[in-house]
Amino acid sequence: MALPILLVEDDRNLGAQVVEHLQKTGFHTIWWTEGKVLTPADAAGVRLFILDLMLPGTYGMDMLKDLRAFSDVPVLILSARNDSVDKVRALKLGADDYLTKPFWPEELIERVRARLRRPNMQLEGGLEAGPVRIDLANRVVSVGEKCVELTRVEFDLLVALARRAEAAVTRRWLVENVLDPDRDGTERTLDVHVSRLRKKLGQESLIETVWGIGYRLRPGAGS
Amino acid sequence: MKLRLRIALATVAAALPILTIVGWARMAEREAILQEARKDFVLERRLALAKMAGSSPSMAFPKVYPTRVLLPMALVTFTSVLLATGPIVRRVRRLTQEVRDSVKGNYQDTITVRGKDEIGELALAFMEAGKEIRSQMDRQLQREKTLRAFLENTTHDVMIPLTVLQGHLATFRERAARGEVLDASSILPAMNEAHYMASLVHNLAAAAKLEAGEPEAQLEPVNLNEVVARAVGRHAPIARQHAVKLDHAVPERPLLARGDVTLIEQAVSNVIDNAVRYNRRDGHVAVLLDRSEGGRFLLRVIDDGPGIPEEERARLAERHVRGNAARSRDPGGRGLGLNITSRVTRLHGWELCLSTADTGGLEVEIKGTIYDPSDGSPHTP
Repeated sequence: MALPILLVEDDRNLGAQVVEHLQKTGFHTIWWTEGKVLTPADAAGVRLFILDLMLPGTYGMDMLKDLRAFSDVPVLILSARNDSVDKVRALKLGADDYLTKPFWPEELIERVRARLRRPNMQLEGGLEAGPVRIDLANRVVSVGEKCVELTRVEFDLLVALARRAEAAVTRRWLVENVLDPDRDGTERTLDVHVSRLRKKLGQESLIETVWGIGYRLRPGAGS
Repeated sequence: MKLRLRIALATVAAALPILTIVGWARMAEREAILQEARKDFVLERRLALAKMAGSSPSMAFPKVYPTRVLLPMALVTFTSVLLATGPIVRRVRRLTQEVRDSVKGNYQDTITVRGKDEIGELALAFMEAGKEIRSQMDRQLQREKTLRAFLENTTHDVMIPLTVLQGHLATFRERAARGEVLDASSILPAMNEAHYMASLVHNLAAAAKLEAGEPEAQLEPVNLNEVVARAVGRHAPIARQHAVKLDHAVPERPLLARGDVTLIEQAVSNVIDNAVRYNRRDGHVAVLLDRSEGGRFLLRVIDDGPGIPEEERARLAERHVRGNAARSRDPGGRGLGLNITSRVTRLHGWELCLSTADTGGLEVEIKGTIYDPSDGSPHTP
């Protein structure tokens, strides 16, 4: 079972709501209603800290400072004070992100997920995106057990998107960095390459068109 | 220097007659004793001589009257010292009085004592101190006024959406009590009000900060990639409810700029908020952050909503409209938000440009200087 998230929030109503939303999403959560001096043992059993800055007992900023002396567990700060001094200080002390009150529960969950998301599924010399496996050294792509023949541009395009899976990549960047500049390097050409790539992979929804931006690879959306 | 010279001269003037008188008096006294001692002998000889010369015996003795001379001389000295120090003392008294009056009048009254000596300098120093105190007090007053105005505006502006929100909640309660099923779309207006209230309070706080002139102190490297992600994240839940697709793209390597992170985030957030709020169902909003030439960044927010006519665009981004005026002109609308964005970009020396997007909607561009920590200074375009 995954390690729990530790929430440190003194407001009873808000704390209860945050716990409820996190649990509902499937994140096991422990809740402290006041600041305490953290020990390495506390930090070792936690996958993410959600820390309110204005706490009775030990001040949130001090907890963060203590924590960073022995642990690099991700820390998400909750702040009611929309003050740059606090945020800049928290980030300098090693907080990974902050969320200013008021926030929607979805916003919190999204931020927690972003903090817990593993950097790309990097395999030995390759990438994995849903059912698609990319062997970078041999420039071979397979979907499930089946190898897929791709042109140079299609392969580079897939790699470019897979490297930044879940993030939208602009058409301009893809045209400049993937297409052959000596040949017809326009956004229209790019769209044609994308449409061919989708067909060859047989995963129509794996590569999303993002309005006004370009394309995004969504490993979870495929298959 | 002049004051010291004057006092020295006055002292000399006062000391001279005193020394003269004392010396004179002591000489006269010694003379008198000597005369007393020689009296009998001299008397007889003089009387004899006088008799021989045939003159009056009183002519033979000098007249010495020490006390009668001492008193008038002391008086003269006293008067001369008084006269010499008089103007100095009068100016010191006037300065004292004027400083007292100035303190009573909140440092508004000016000091009229002038002169090139130390008293003049002291008067000048008092005036400078008074001016400094006055400007400090003015600043404090201005800050207090801004704060009070902020509180009043916040209270007033938050009360309206709060009232609407209470209305929505009351309706939900009534409908639920009647056993009606509440569909998701009927709750959306209440969510809108709450969301609007949050951005309103953020904007009013930003306006107070801008008006108090504080942000210069908060210039720190700001990760624009994260700012965009957070601002998009803030509006994503509402965009989803409105069935508006909100997406963003940032460069792989984070772009930094120097600035106030709260103000920048609010500036970006306002543009996204407007693009979502004034869009239609199934509309789109794209937020793009990119490097452009000359060490600059370009942040674009494009939508396919109804857009804004050109003359209104100019009015919305108007430079000299203060937060309050923008609020009263367009209450609850995009006035305050875009006004804050415009002022924040100006504060950071960036450009804000509103135009019609290729999609027919609104395109908002923010251009500014990238901060490169490796060379310690921002790029100059």
